[in-house]
Amino acid sequence: MILLWGVSGDRPLALVHQALQRHGAPVLFLDQSAFLETELELSFSPQVRGTLRVSGKWVELANITAAYIRPHDLRLLPEIRNAEPGGAVRTHAIRLEDALLCWTELTSALVVNPPSAMASNGSKPYQSALIRWFGIDVPETLITTDPNAALEFWEKHGSVVYKSVSGVRSIVSRLGSEHSSRLQNIANCPTQFQEYIAGRDFRLHIVGDEFFISEIISDADDYRYAIKTGCRLKIRPGSLPEDVVGRCRALVAFLGLRFSGVDLRRNQDGKWYCFEVNPSPGFSFYEEATGQPISDAVARLLINDR
Amino acid sequence: MLVVLASRHDRSARYLVERWTAFGAGMITCEDLSVAGWRFCPSSPDASTAVVDGRCVPCKDIAGVLTRLPCIFPGELLHIRREDREYVAAEMGAFLMAWLSSLSCPVLNRPVGTCLSGLNWRPEQWALAASRVNIRVRTTKRRILLGSTAEPGGSEPNSIAVTVIGHQCFGQIDPHLGVQARRLAMAAGVDLLEVRFSGDEADFCFESANLWPDLSRVDLADAVLQYLQNDSRRSVRRR
Repeated sequence: MILLWGVSGDRPLALVHQALQRHGAPVLFLDQSAFLETELELSFSPQVRGTLRVSGKWVELANITAAYIRPHDLRLLPEIRNAEPGGAVRTHAIRLEDALLCWTELTSALVVNPPSAMASNGSKPYQSALIRWFGIDVPETLITTDPNAALEFWEKHGSVVYKSVSGVRSIVSRLGSEHSSRLQNIANCPTQFQEYIAGRDFRLHIVGDEFFISEIISDADDYRYAIKTGCRLKIRPGSLPEDVVGRCRALVAFLGLRFSGVDLRRNQDGKWYCFEVNPSPGFSFYEEATGQPISDAVARLLINDR
Repeated sequence: MLVVLASRHDRSARYLVERWTAFGAGMITCEDLSVAGWRFCPSSPDASTAVVDGRCVPCKDIAGVLTRLPCIFPGELLHIRREDREYVAAEMGAFLMAWLSSLSCPVLNRPVGTCLSGLNWRPEQWALAASRVNIRVRTTKRRILLGSTAEPGGSEPNSIAVTVIGHQCFGQIDPHLGVQARRLAMAAGVDLLEVRFSGDEADFCFESANLWPDLSRVDLADAVLQYLQNDSRRSVRRR
């Protein structure tokens, strides 16, 4: 049995669910929002065993051979937002999530991906150091609380972007004259600046031994928000040099990720840069634009790679 | 200089900084991350600067770091607007993860995953690691039933604590427990760890592991200092 854990409206989860159904694989869908109908009993001796109650039925965790997990931030679920702080509803949701995450770390089932393998994405500069270690270039970066240092860096590179340091999603934006007066605010919190690399974006999805390359044609600084910002956006199947793919595959294997989305850019001189390895990629955006069967590859990984 | 990364409320950290005054010890708290002066260039970490006790210092002058924080807690960021605290805490923690990982001097413990001071496993993960190095563990259970509450935790009254600092062990222990505690620390890739055992001499069981032991004891403080200094010398030679 294959466990899918997340919220029912999550598009990547839905695509994998459909692909598993096409393959006739037995699926247990654990809706994160339905936590009040979910119970769990685990025993650690020290191997983990247990049972999960979903929709009134108890399921032996030993029967789960693989799991695809995309839990959302619990605090953002409407059922939690409206619940009393410290009350029974919140407490149950938090305890359930922690116990399930604990199971994902200890089970012998294939988990795509265990939280410990995803951790490097929590610090972009930390992950960048790992990327560089695998011989892939990353843009020149400064993280600073010093407005003067930021100005020097800006002057040195001419064009600079700023983005979050943590895994919190942020819109990558180019620094402009309108930011000059606000630069003093960076004294409050270390802020990340990167040299702007002009060029073409690529997304490499690596699923077990398979990979899919999407080429993104856009004039937005952050193409994920191209439509919102009135910029053009076109995504089509693309290609990458073998060497770049090989290094990326070695990197994600090192991180312990069985499924990942690698963000790359080729500059005008043909030099390749890597921005990030996403350990829980929202691949539906690319699959629906290119027709690449990414969800099918994830489903096959879950079925075959135990 | 030696640096202790800690909460301003951490009495062990204050004690260590005072005890190590002669070694130019200073403290980094979350307030120091809101002072102009940090410059971290991942491609050239030696050119970076940090803020220690409110003062800007070159990172190459830092000879060792003791980390006493798992993360930055939003609740400690009283100098940040309430609605921004959670985001700022995540940013500061992510920054420290990268900065601490880049240091070539000894860092006790080095950050791992999302934890700034070593591998912050859940109790069950520690127990599994303990069993893999042949330490006896008890069966534990989690029952997440509607309306149920968490089982009470805490250490057993007769539990024994062993503190591992590098190759040394401290506590009222028999040598066998010291060896076991060191094995567990090695398995977790940490050089500072308190391991608790319960039971009697014939039947000791793993009870818990703690990355943030109380270090306000002379023997532990001196062992940490010795670790940072000895390892500093080794690190300098390695460079």
